[in-house]
Amino acid sequence: MNWIGLWTLIRREVGRFFSVYRQTVLPGLISSALYILIFGFTLEQRISEIQGVSYTWFILPGLIMMNTLTNATSNTASSMLQMKLLQQLPDLLTAPLSGFEIALSYIIGGAVRGLVNGTLVLLLGVLLIKLPVIDPVGTIAFIFLVSWAFASMGLVLGQLADSWDQLAMMQNFFLTPLSFLGGIFYSIQMLPEWAQSLSFFNPIYYMINGIRYTILGISDSSISFSFWMAVALTIIFSATAMLLMQSGEKIKQ
Amino acid sequence: MPEPAIQISGLFKSYGDVHALCGVDMTIDQGEFFGMLGPNGAGKTTTINILTGLVFNDRGSTQVFGRDTVTDYRFTRSKIGIAAQELSIDWFFPIERLLYFQAGYYGIAPRKAKSTIDNLLKRLGLDKKRDSRLRQLSGGMKRRFQLAKALVHDPDIIILDEPTAGIDVELRRDLWQYLRDLHSAGKTILLTTHYIEEAELLCGKVAIIDQGKVLKEGTPKALTRELGHAGITVQLNQDAVNLEKHLSGFTYTAEENRLHFVVKDPDSSLPEIIQKLSQTEVHIQSITTNSSSLEDVFLSLTGKGINE
Repeated sequence: MNWIGLWTLIRREVGRFFSVYRQTVLPGLISSALYILIFGFTLEQRISEIQGVSYTWFILPGLIMMNTLTNATSNTASSMLQMKLLQQLPDLLTAPLSGFEIALSYIIGGAVRGLVNGTLVLLLGVLLIKLPVIDPVGTIAFIFLVSWAFASMGLVLGQLADSWDQLAMMQNFFLTPLSFLGGIFYSIQMLPEWAQSLSFFNPIYYMINGIRYTILGISDSSISFSFWMAVALTIIFSATAMLLMQSGEKIKQ
Repeated sequence: MPEPAIQISGLFKSYGDVHALCGVDMTIDQGEFFGMLGPNGAGKTTTINILTGLVFNDRGSTQVFGRDTVTDYRFTRSKIGIAAQELSIDWFFPIERLLYFQAGYYGIAPRKAKSTIDNLLKRLGLDKKRDSRLRQLSGGMKRRFQLAKALVHDPDIIILDEPTAGIDVELRRDLWQYLRDLHSAGKTILLTTHYIEEAELLCGKVAIIDQGKVLKEGTPKALTRELGHAGITVQLNQDAVNLEKHLSGFTYTAEENRLHFVVKDPDSSLPEIIQKLSQTEVHIQSITTNSSSLEDVFLSLTGKGINE
């Protein structure tokens, strides 16, 4: 194991997104603050409580999760695609680093970004709307687990993508719709039965309900199922990302 | 005999219907300054990329210090520093930081890399630019940075893919001198180039490669002796007549007081010609030699110029 190599690449990946924090950290915070302001101060009076909590409280765990998984995904996906397009990848591929080490470093970099973004939105919720966090350790752990899973998925997308257009398509046509349909803004009990059934096939639904449980103690789905779903996604996506990197698909000829 | 620094055996690689390599064999000894000379698309970069792990081969093997570059990649890659032809771009970090990253990938902690990095930045004239981003550097500086990156882990083997492509004459000479210094310090250097002059000036041994095959290998001198033809022109004080019996065995033309010899190796033929002529009545006024170059060798092997 090339530990120094691994650590170097992790530092590079984390340093990369911090160096452009205006693109990578602030936007999620600003959009979350806007959601809180709009929903909290304008719509909340017109919307009744959901499962015993105020509407703004109800949506905040979903916002945390949306920020976490979009940031984790885009960190690895864009960093990998950028390295491919800017001819930087040969520096890594000709170094004494295994595909496993390269993939792991990228995933950790993306997971840190997901964790930083998710945690900042959580803090925003605590500060602005006094969000109660029933299980802080569980919340942070869940954010990290989901970050890891989606960072792995992002790495797979980045390695397979040939252009920014393809990445944007994944983000706009799959990730964002699945996040919105995963119950950020509503409880699925408010949906007709057929739509509820469809939600069960959306993995992000379980992520949102999992974190809602650790923060507010309420959830549409079983917490253990949400947790194991997150673990399963983490294992599947990590293994896929590592095997794909090892295979050299699209990055070696 | 020590292990060869690089051993390439029976290397084949195709991209679909395009046969990039058709059985490349090459041995590069430790401490050698080796040049792969060939036109664009000859297979030079593909060979290097297989050696460094960027390209999978179809058949054949590549070894570095006797160890396989696929199964023992950690060892072999740690021995090689490569300056690729394509310049990489990084938007995020200053160049000094990039060199620390590069050292890190090779398992060298920043503390240990510091003196090497400081020396490289100074030697390559990048000292004042250490806090600049790559996009702020000129083309020549980017090339030098590329070289610094290849040397940051003090590799035994340095591979340079067209290191002087697109840079001005002054910088080219400066880089050549640096490469000579590295070679004198005991490094094995493998250079690909399509500049004949570069191969002739720097390389102790040259492989001429075209269409995925090594056509010929040897010292530039041996190659030109074997395959090239040089001209020796001798001006006499009188018309060149009645010299046939003295100059039998030479290929030459005589025109008034001028003799033009076509020889394989001017270094050995010239004294012979002078000696033969001194046995005659004529006096030599001047001698000019047009020595054969690798360019002639390339021409006679492939039937075309290197940049055609």
